[in-house]
Amino acid sequence: MKLLWLEVFKTFSRWRTYIAFGFIALIVILTEIVMKLSADEIMLRMMRSLQKDFLIFGNLLNGWFVTAFIMNSLHIHIPFLITLVAGDIVSSEATSGTVRLLLIRPPSRSKIITAKYLTSLFYTTAIVLFLAFMCIFLGLALFGSGDLIMNYATQFRIVFIPEAEIPVRMLLAFAAATWSMTVVASMAFLFSTLAENSIGPIIGTMAVVVVFFLVGNFPFDFFRALSPYLFTTYMIFWQRFLDDPIPWQEIARSAIILGLHNIGLFLIAFVAYNRKDIKS
Amino acid sequence: MKKALLPFVLLFLFSPEFIQAQEDPTHYLDSLEKKYSGLKDYMVDVNVHFDIEALKAPDMQARLYYKAPDKMKVESRNVFFFPKEGGYFNPSLFRKKDFDARLLERLTYEGRRAVRLRLTPSETNRHQQGFVLTIDTERNLIREISTSPSEGRAIRAVIGYGEFSDFELPVYIELHLDIPSVEPDGMKQFGSFGQRPKRITGKVKIAYSNYKVNSGLRDEIFNEAEPPKLK
Repeated sequence: MKLLWLEVFKTFSRWRTYIAFGFIALIVILTEIVMKLSADEIMLRMMRSLQKDFLIFGNLLNGWFVTAFIMNSLHIHIPFLITLVAGDIVSSEATSGTVRLLLIRPPSRSKIITAKYLTSLFYTTAIVLFLAFMCIFLGLALFGSGDLIMNYATQFRIVFIPEAEIPVRMLLAFAAATWSMTVVASMAFLFSTLAENSIGPIIGTMAVVVVFFLVGNFPFDFFRALSPYLFTTYMIFWQRFLDDPIPWQEIARSAIILGLHNIGLFLIAFVAYNRKDIKS
Repeated sequence: MKKALLPFVLLFLFSPEFIQAQEDPTHYLDSLEKKYSGLKDYMVDVNVHFDIEALKAPDMQARLYYKAPDKMKVESRNVFFFPKEGGYFNPSLFRKKDFDARLLERLTYEGRRAVRLRLTPSETNRHQQGFVLTIDTERNLIREISTSPSEGRAIRAVIGYGEFSDFELPVYIELHLDIPSVEPDGMKQFGSFGQRPKRITGKVKIAYSNYKVNSGLRDEIFNEAEPPKLK
């Protein structure tokens, strides 16, 4: 436990750790200000499918909608921010030449690698929670509260979630988003264990995430057949908590698949670190 | 020769088709107008139930205000979707002067005599759309309204009535929708490969309760700041 807190302390002592928080704050503030300024345009675009036949009353562009809207960008920028730390957490010891010093200390390699991995997960959780905090509190302050209208545009479905249900659903959605992002952290962590520098794991992880996303979303049968085998397909399962009815089976399946990825990636990293030759 | 033709001429003159062709169907609209001429305003609680695959929403409640001839306001604390066409009862929507009417058929509707009229907007009419009305001629009630198909859209409203303050007003309007979908701009999301339906089909049932009729609604009610509304 002490080792874990030492790693956490070490991680949060580095200024680069805070790049992610600053970036998220900037993105959220900018997005929400722009959304506030172009609220009418956003609503017209969003409800174009319904407004020809329905009069729509009430505060649709509220803090909850803005939060869900920004959460959709999770796929793009949050993985990058996670790799900045998770891709660096092991390899930086090699880069800075402290790995030998670290490994001749009493704690075993297994304990060290586990502590570093848990630190990566802690950081990932902190990033997603910070995003949630920024989105929800700034969103509610700027846009107020209200019912949530989720527009699943590509499926042409509109889902209406009453205001009273939203806090619990958002909590579950952010928990699921955190769980999704831990897979990115695990992958970056594995690459970091295998590499001697930090650039490789960061670029390598982002390359995998971006390529998997693109492959999984190409509208061709060949790529569609591949998508069940790509972990990125399951990373959007947080959206299912904002669906009606909530597809619990699909959520459980996605969570398990992502969990198995985490276990697999960590075990490989664990074995690789234990076998690592630090003498050469 | 003339005598021989006379029975045929008489038969033709008294045939239902001939009578139908001679009858001015606008008098049905006239009767409706007269029946509701005393209806100045009403307010009513509405409950909207959606049975549409593309729109998953719980029942929505609101209070609706109407003032003749065409003022309408909806008051809701929450987000509220309300059908633009056929969502509320407006007796002055089908004024005789606004439409050219043609009798399509006589029929029995729920055991009562009824007619089906096709209404085509007259030249001076601001309405762009035509309608087919089914009117219960025994009680002078519009029982069904169908929009004339345009741009592939078809909406049919079935209306059930109750009596409130000497007026027969809707207790429910059931809308049957079959309209084309419009893809929203800029809302593409990752990870959705679902086959997009080409049309929105389903039912919207609007139930009306707690009518307050002719309570003297002020015009200002309809001008007061409303919650954000997309038209």
